[in-house]
Amino acid sequence: MKGSPLNMQKNKLKAVLAVAALGAVALVSAPAQANAAGLKIAIMPKAVNIGYFTAWNKGAQTACKEIKATCTYLGPTEATGPAQVQFINQVIQKKYDVLVISAADQNAIVPSLNKAKAAGIKIVTSDADVAATAASSRVVSVLPAASARIGTAEVDWIAAATGGKGKIAVLSAAATAANQNAWIAAMGPYLTSKYPNMSWVGGTVDKSTFYGDDDATKSTAQFDAILSQYPDVAGIISPTTVGVLAAAQEKKTKNASVKVTGLGLPSQMAPYIEDGTVEKVGLWNPIDLGYVAVYAGAAAKAGTFTGKVGSSFKAGKKSYSVVAGGIAYLGDPFTFDKSNIATFKAIY
Amino acid sequence: MRNLLRIRELPIAVVLVAFFSIAALGNHQLFSFSGLHDLLFGSSIICLLVSAETLIIVMKHIDLSIGSTIGFASYIIGKNASNGHGLLYCLLLGIIFGLAVGAVNGLLVAYFKLPSLVVTLGTLYLVRGLFNQVAGGDFINSDKVPHVLSFMASHTFAKIPYLFIVAFVLALIVGFYMRNFRSGRDLYAIGSNLPAAYLAGIKVEKRTFWAFTAAGGIAGLGGALLIARFGQAQANSGLGIELGVVAACVVGGVAIAGGIGTVFGAIIGALLLQTIVLALGALGVSQFWQGVVNGALLIAAISLDKVLSSRSQRTQIMRVSE
Amino acid sequence: MNFLTRIRSSIGWDKGVGALLVLTIVIGSLVTPDFATTSNLGFVVQDIGEIMIIALPMTFLIIAGEIDLSVASALSLVSSSIGYSFAHGVPFGWALVIGILVGLATGALNGFLVNYLGLQSLAVTIGTMGLFRGLCFVLLGSNPVNQLPDFWTGLGINNIPGTFLPWSFLLIAPLVIIALILLHFTRIGRWTFAAGISSEAANFAGIPVKRFKFFMYVATGFMVSLAAIVYTLRFASASPDSAMGYELTTIAAVLFGGVSIAGGFGTMWGVIFSVIELGAIRSVLQLVNFSSNALQIVSGSLLLFSVAVPKVAEMLKARRETRVKTPTPSLTSSRSVE
Repeated sequence: MKGSPLNMQKNKLKAVLAVAALGAVALVSAPAQANAAGLKIAIMPKAVNIGYFTAWNKGAQTACKEIKATCTYLGPTEATGPAQVQFINQVIQKKYDVLVISAADQNAIVPSLNKAKAAGIKIVTSDADVAATAASSRVVSVLPAASARIGTAEVDWIAAATGGKGKIAVLSAAATAANQNAWIAAMGPYLTSKYPNMSWVGGTVDKSTFYGDDDATKSTAQFDAILSQYPDVAGIISPTTVGVLAAAQEKKTKNASVKVTGLGLPSQMAPYIEDGTVEKVGLWNPIDLGYVAVYAGAAAKAGTFTGKVGSSFKAGKKSYSVVAGGIAYLGDPFTFDKSNIATFKAIY
Repeated sequence: MRNLLRIRELPIAVVLVAFFSIAALGNHQLFSFSGLHDLLFGSSIICLLVSAETLIIVMKHIDLSIGSTIGFASYIIGKNASNGHGLLYCLLLGIIFGLAVGAVNGLLVAYFKLPSLVVTLGTLYLVRGLFNQVAGGDFINSDKVPHVLSFMASHTFAKIPYLFIVAFVLALIVGFYMRNFRSGRDLYAIGSNLPAAYLAGIKVEKRTFWAFTAAGGIAGLGGALLIARFGQAQANSGLGIELGVVAACVVGGVAIAGGIGTVFGAIIGALLLQTIVLALGALGVSQFWQGVVNGALLIAAISLDKVLSSRSQRTQIMRVSE
Repeated sequence: MNFLTRIRSSIGWDKGVGALLVLTIVIGSLVTPDFATTSNLGFVVQDIGEIMIIALPMTFLIIAGEIDLSVASALSLVSSSIGYSFAHGVPFGWALVIGILVGLATGALNGFLVNYLGLQSLAVTIGTMGLFRGLCFVLLGSNPVNQLPDFWTGLGINNIPGTFLPWSFLLIAPLVIIALILLHFTRIGRWTFAAGISSEAANFAGIPVKRFKFFMYVATGFMVSLAAIVYTLRFASASPDSAMGYELTTIAAVLFGGVSIAGGFGTMWGVIFSVIELGAIRSVLQLVNFSSNALQIVSGSLLLFSVAVPKVAEMLKARRETRVKTPTPSLTSSRSVE
């Protein structure tokens, strides 16, 4: 705050230049992008540094090798729409041919996707789609299975665990997570109609849903909140890999009797399934999801696939066709229990 | 001094007991050993970190980097454990890492005289970025967590969770040090009146440096608790925890203006915040409203503290400001 | 005049940021052909828009010795209010007016708590941060609002016809100029510095510090609501989890611009350069395919450099000059939080 700053100036500028020079060296030595002859494809997860998306990218990279495309895995560190938009801008600017993206926000990225589309980039959403009203912003969405199937399957798993009776709660991701909201909406009526001896702890599924924001700390706190608010809860469905893991860990720690199931990565859930904390969880194969999405994007770029309802594309040996809403489904989720967890945990 | 400190913690302790009781009337589940267990277990990580943050805030500084440090430390501990190293080795690595981050903060704040908020905001980004770069999508699973740690997470001693005992013992040590050691009391002097602290011959730089280093070390140790508590470590472990820690300190009477507050007050603050969370849930307040009530209660707690401790006001007005 | 000396004495790091910006642009243009294009410039301008708008009042607050951690939550609350009103049948133009009123209210609440209850701004705005964010979820819950009117979202998304600049530029450019003039060439600016250097002295000198700072928070609320409108239109939706983490990004940008966290010191052009520089450097790093992890590392390092470099220079110089004198400890500069 004191001193004679005018004389300091020269030193400061010198120092600034030194810093900048360092930066310059770093920039110049940055890896230049390989310029292969094939397509340039951007693979964008909701956020990098997440195990699920690492597996997703593994499948995408396999497909890229097969079709001799250059694939770059890029995305923000935090799963928000605005953060993804910065990277979509990068994709437009670097003139990628195809963008495969898992939408971190079903609305906020839509204007940017439209810009990318206008720039001639073929967009495939995979894993998480944009809002139905914005379906025209992408060619196709490659999703695991219809929302209804995923939601009802989870209800069946928890019914199997609780013996078809008792009160059930849901431990979800963020309140704004579009995937989870769609699955939960499907769970609501299915549980009450299919299992007469089961009910939602809060009366309706909406009032029985708790949000852990896909964060281990918050999910754990919400698991505790469910138990303290509803001591008679018989089962908790957590339709998110972060939530079901936190629930399993907290159930084990507290030796709680509540049953837990949901969507979990086998590699992460293996310890809890092996020791009996959790009987069964399910999930599609994220590797396949990434793999198929790359093929869809490449076919769209080649002009052999339009994304119209009824049109189809090939990924590896299988063919996938587009159903209403511009969506191609992978198939029902796999389930993991003691019998097969050893095999699956080595895969993803 | 002693009396003053006691008085400062009294109101917040009364609020804690009152709030807990009222909530317990509404939900009997809360007023049981399992309710108490939830409270202590759920707040153990924050309770450990307030010891670190109190050291810093009484000096009128702040450390925002502890969230990144505790996260990276938990990953270091988990990664080395999964590579087959023993618990002590892993623990030591985690603590050394924390000490190193703390020492960088301390060096820049104490000897280079840089503002701690900027420095620790910088190290918050820096350490998190390095952590992300190192960890990537890697995931440390619960079966890789050292057995002693997972045992501590799932067991209690005399109904008190081990993790809370660790945090509490550390708070006892830090609290005892700050109250009874010359160098500990120096931290209060530095925070309440820096020029006077210099004139009184206090080694300000040395104290500041070691306080930051110790805070880093505590966050490093916290990494062990974090991985024990959640049975996992990954790139976003510990993300954003620092603001909760600062809030607990402030609610517990550790004034941001420096020079006042104790570790025990901060722990009471952490317990109060956790009670609020548990009580709102137990009373059936919708999760969307919980955030609102939580924020409002935090403001109310700060206001209450302000009203009750108008005593400290006088020293602030009289202080020669820069 | 003391005021002029102060301006002159503050020429330093802020100029360094300017130099760094020039350098970033030069290097950026050299290492990647995609950087210095009009379309990329448009992206960068759009990208830094909200942060720039909030950074302007934040500069005033920090120079006046206060801080506001609730700005991102307040932005989200304004956006949520706009979305909520629109979804409940309010014409969009009026929804924007409601949003601005909500923004003013958030600022007034902060201003009241800080100035009339005398609470520490750092602590109390952690509280209002939680409060405002909670209200966002009370309003919208799990139902983000989309399908806003095309006319309005067009303003957020499209460029001014015939140019590469987004419409928001027409809002931001005048705001930047007004802020620059207010801080450095008017009584309001002098009061801001005075309040930050010594609130008591400013009071004795007849400046109504409390009322002044109260209105500063209200103005912050207003600017936040403008940023929220830009944000809402740009993303064509309103969501309760908007602008997550923007508070730290904004504060980091202000500090990187050479504003002292202890108050009383800093320049507006330093902050303006800083916001542009942070946007530019991110763009360059992205275009040469740096990972987002590396971006975090760079942000942290830049922040440390911004305070360390001037300090080291000062210390080296002080050592050279005072070799004969007995060293006196610097009493002022190690305070952190005011």
